[in-house]
Amino acid sequence: MKIRLLTTGFKSAYENMAIDEAVLIHAQKNYQSTLRFYGWKPAAISIGYFQSLKEEVDMNECQKQQVDYIRRVTGGGAVFHEAEVTYSLISPVDGQFIPQDIISSYKKICQGIIEGLKILGIESQFVPLNDIIASGKKISGNAQTRKKNVLLQHGTILLDVNVEKMFSLLKVPQEKLRDKLIKDVKQRVVGVKNLLLSKQINFETCQEALVKGFEKALMLEYDKTSLTASELAMAQELKDKKYSLPEWNLMR
Amino acid sequence: MIKKSVYKIPEGKLVKIELETVDNEIKKIKITGDFFLYPEEIISKLEKSLESCKISKEVLIKHLDNFWKNHQVDCFGINSSGLTEAILTAKEI
Repeated sequence: MKIRLLTTGFKSAYENMAIDEAVLIHAQKNYQSTLRFYGWKPAAISIGYFQSLKEEVDMNECQKQQVDYIRRVTGGGAVFHEAEVTYSLISPVDGQFIPQDIISSYKKICQGIIEGLKILGIESQFVPLNDIIASGKKISGNAQTRKKNVLLQHGTILLDVNVEKMFSLLKVPQEKLRDKLIKDVKQRVVGVKNLLLSKQINFETCQEALVKGFEKALMLEYDKTSLTASELAMAQELKDKKYSLPEWNLMR
Repeated sequence: MIKKSVYKIPEGKLVKIELETVDNEIKKIKITGDFFLYPEEIISKLEKSLESCKISKEVLIKHLDNFWKNHQVDCFGINSSGLTEAILTAKEI
């Protein structure tokens, strides 16, 4: 399976989500498949399509700590993006490379992450609907949407976990439960660095392993290239007229 | 008055409801949470369709079952009984 490989490095939340959508929209016309890896700078909270920004995110605290916030086109929960590698896979739902069945497609794409983690020395498993666990803890969360028969699945592979910072940016139902929530999440979530204490792991080494993991697990043949001028122009427009605006981010 | 609920669907995701009612009917409803619906944009239509719906377990489950079927919606982490329970919980607060 031929696929375009993009490594776009660290970008803002608005740029990142705009690029994912611009590639998705282009794939609806050119039927091209793309695998992209990226990071977030500044750090950001993304919320799921169906979540309420006001209910989930402490926007004042985000501003104080210079953390951006954004709504995704995909469902799922709030994610704090700081120490992680993020990927997106965009491809037509052809019934072969991308199965029609939603759970099967999650499972298939997540094999790339599982293989990548294996290269790093971490054994992990897919847990339906959308998680990957290692040593019994969540190490990767994933979300997908399908528009005009093209799939966009994006997800995170955690490098490190800063639960205190994450919860300082999120609203919690009851303030008195904050400490308990932090303790619970610490027991349920883990990063690559936490599992490989003796190794030097950073964004680049993890990205490299994931590139190889996807290649092997999904039998990919990479075309290493960059975004087209048309994709970049559309991403700029989506950033300015959608993702950076309250109309979108405060929509629900 | 707006009534609210936060309900974790058994084996599913978290659903948050904001509800306005008149005479045991839904006047306005907002459904948020970390669930998945395909296509996503259907959520507005779903909320609109629930307006004037009687707040009873049987009526709501039937309404939701028909809605998913008629609009070919795929649900993950959310289902008719879970969403109904969330709505009924909001009513009781």
